[in-house]
Amino acid sequence: MIPAMDSGARPAVIDARGLVKVFRTARRATGLLGTIRSLVVPEMVAKTAVDGVSFSAGHGELLALLGPNGAGKSTTIKMLTGIITPTAGEAVVAGVVPYRQRERNARNVGAVFGQRTQLWWDLPARDSFRILRDIYGVSPADHDARLREFDGLLELSSFWDTRVRHLSLGQRVRCDLAAALLHDPPVVFLDEPTIGMDVVVKEQVRILLRHQVEQRGRTVLLTTHDMTEVERLAERVVLINHGRIVMDGTLPEIRARFGSAWRVHATIDMRSVAAGLEPCPPGLVLTDRNGATAVFGPDMANPDGVAGLRGTAALTPHQALKLIIDRYEVTGIRVEESDLDQVMRSAYTEGMTSVPVNGGW
Amino acid sequence: MREKWRAFAAAWKLALRIAGLSFRAELEYRANFVTNVIFGIAWQSATIVFATVILSSFPGMGGWSSHQVLLIVGMRTLSHGLYALIFDRNYLLEMLVQDGRLETFLLRPMRVYRQIQLAVFPTSAIGDLLVGVSIFTWAVSVSGLHWTPARIAYLASGVIGGMLMEAAMATTLASLLLRYPATMAWNAWIEDLAGTFGNYPLNIFPSPITSALTFVLPLAFIAYFPAAVLTRHTGGLNVPAAVAVAAPLICLGAYVGTRLLWNARLRRYTGVTG
Amino acid sequence: MSGLTAARGWRTARITPLSDLLSPGRITGRAIRLAVQVFLVVFLWRALYANVDIKAGLTEVMAVTYAVLAVLMVDTRAFARFGARDTVIQHMQSGTIVYWFLRPLAPQHYYFWRGVGEQAYGIAWAGAGCVACAVAGVLGPPASAGAAAAFGGTFLVGQSLLYYLALLTDLMCFWAIRNNSVVAILAFTQNLLSGAYAALWYFPEWFRFVSQLLPFQYTIGIPLSFYVGRIPVADFPAQLAAAAGWVAALAILSRVLWYKAVKLLAAQGG
Repeated sequence: MIPAMDSGARPAVIDARGLVKVFRTARRATGLLGTIRSLVVPEMVAKTAVDGVSFSAGHGELLALLGPNGAGKSTTIKMLTGIITPTAGEAVVAGVVPYRQRERNARNVGAVFGQRTQLWWDLPARDSFRILRDIYGVSPADHDARLREFDGLLELSSFWDTRVRHLSLGQRVRCDLAAALLHDPPVVFLDEPTIGMDVVVKEQVRILLRHQVEQRGRTVLLTTHDMTEVERLAERVVLINHGRIVMDGTLPEIRARFGSAWRVHATIDMRSVAAGLEPCPPGLVLTDRNGATAVFGPDMANPDGVAGLRGTAALTPHQALKLIIDRYEVTGIRVEESDLDQVMRSAYTEGMTSVPVNGGW
Repeated sequence: MREKWRAFAAAWKLALRIAGLSFRAELEYRANFVTNVIFGIAWQSATIVFATVILSSFPGMGGWSSHQVLLIVGMRTLSHGLYALIFDRNYLLEMLVQDGRLETFLLRPMRVYRQIQLAVFPTSAIGDLLVGVSIFTWAVSVSGLHWTPARIAYLASGVIGGMLMEAAMATTLASLLLRYPATMAWNAWIEDLAGTFGNYPLNIFPSPITSALTFVLPLAFIAYFPAAVLTRHTGGLNVPAAVAVAAPLICLGAYVGTRLLWNARLRRYTGVTG
Repeated sequence: MSGLTAARGWRTARITPLSDLLSPGRITGRAIRLAVQVFLVVFLWRALYANVDIKAGLTEVMAVTYAVLAVLMVDTRAFARFGARDTVIQHMQSGTIVYWFLRPLAPQHYYFWRGVGEQAYGIAWAGAGCVACAVAGVLGPPASAGAAAAFGGTFLVGQSLLYYLALLTDLMCFWAIRNNSVVAILAFTQNLLSGAYAALWYFPEWFRFVSQLLPFQYTIGIPLSFYVGRIPVADFPAQLAAAAGWVAALAILSRVLWYKAVKLLAAQGG
């Protein structure tokens, strides 16, 4: 079995190859006769949740898995954590096939599933940590050292003696994060971990994750709907829709491909443009004018500019900046990036057309 | 006066309509509905066993014949079934207070108490009621009493009174629950007590206990006193016969009193601190 | 390595007792509840036997002792864990069951340690209750030394049986039962058929016949009947064998069902 290589040409830590998952559910019949029939010979309906997903992630990489609800993100994660067995395809995580060697895999993996806690409701969080320490077989010295580290980053000591039942959502998720990392797993799966939390706690979690990825070299796979989180944390983004990968690349690449709503606000010395601002540099169009401030946007009708080949995406804001500064006497300039939500929406609705920009099978 | 009567009738019509809608909503999930009803029946298993198996094997207790004890059981179980259907919502109130949803109730033009009663249709209460009706019917038929209209009226008022007394106890707890969420633990316990002790003639217990169950936790008024009146056991009671006879009225008074207590406490409701 | 050695499993085992200790008032609440139940039961049976010497083979002393012990022994396991949201059905409903499959401890073994801890805790409560009742004079001694031994033997096997019965009910939650009411109904039925509400001797012939075909009576009814002397000590080997047979059968069944449950979860994902 040849291990896949990641972008840095090292063996990939998470390696998904052609994962397919088809769920067979019994169709619910109506009426008395139908109900009896469905009890004896149920009519099965096949639903394809994941239809050939392939990607890989390496050591010290934080990958964001994005997609609308029902796109197949959770199912993919469940296959990678070994909870579900794929219908076809294969997954290898830290050298182990998760659904075949569950216990070996458990030692390599830490997971936090959104609002579901793995802590014991009636015990203080610290007791939950101790139970997990026993279950994972962590030495007391290591355990204490790690807890100290997490306390420093997440301020756990102020509430880890309170019973989990009485913790707020933010406090509980922080404890769940610590619990997932207690056994020092090389791979971490986070399924919407910061949903419903306030801004301060979200920032703490982000700092922790960055620390884990950069200093400890963990591989983190994160699903989220929070675009700020994606922007701040993810180097790489994998978009899934309808069970397939729509795009796999870095954030700038995705923006370049789908982002067409950026604007450059330039304050221009009007004395230098006697003939007026038109014509715009190629690939740009003047969308608004406010005295001395001109707003430029990409020319979607005619995206070919100096920068691109025929048929590619529009200019990036940075290319536009250069063109504008070259062309006009600019006294002030501001870039307004495409709203990431809008980028994602374009990406989701793009649907089946997918040419992976990076890697993939 | 006419206006008041019309408003009263309209409020009741609305209440019945809401209850009907909730009932139909519950009915949609047939399997769930049936299991909830069976659950209500199963919850009464200890009572059912006592009434059917134990009582019939023994000649009686505390000077009461088995059939007479059965009357207590029947009356109490029926009262409880009615209580469960109409009043038993303290568990819901706890959630409403914790989630802060009670505040929306305060903003609606309907009595909060009634809104809580109507908030859910308690399917398991149907099971309670089935058990109650069955045992009650059986008890009445084997009681050997001559059922004059007066007796029947008194029997009915005894059952209604029992329901109101249980409701009074629950309402007291609910009033406390508004302020002290820890009260919920006591709620289950008191319902337990009522179910365990309420089925028996209280004179089988030592007198301190009988007094406690008459004056502290007024279980005696639920079924014991009215049944004692009907079976002419008023001699051996720890209260004058007149009090026993007036039990249904006392229950009504208790209910009204606790409703007033609830109103007072609701006015001072401050809600859950963020 | 999939199981936990006792040295490391004890923390999992002590979750329920620890939770009780840490929740204020739970222990006092339970003690008061038990005391009230015992009190009621003592006076109830004394009143029933006031004009009767013996019924269904039980004298007043036997009946009262049986009833008191039954109150102390009735299984409160399910209800304790329900409050703590750690029952299988709650995990299935909330989705937290996934974590059971993400640990290097097989779910079967985690369940085992939780169950053992809880039952030991329950037995400790029952023991303390027995001492209190004996001191209060409501609990009589065993009918004879032989009866005591017979009680001890069938009690221990009965506890294993109780473990497997609870396990099987929980396992059903993976397939059929997503409904708290059904779990409660099963609990009540088991209590009824085990002789917890009233000794099975009082029930009609057909009912006793049905319960003899089922395993439930071996958890409470049979051990207590030995204790009060309702069953002669000579019957001990036969009854013990029957109980042990049930334990073996249920142990095998639960192993099979665990395997299937894990497979089902792997296919459906919970």
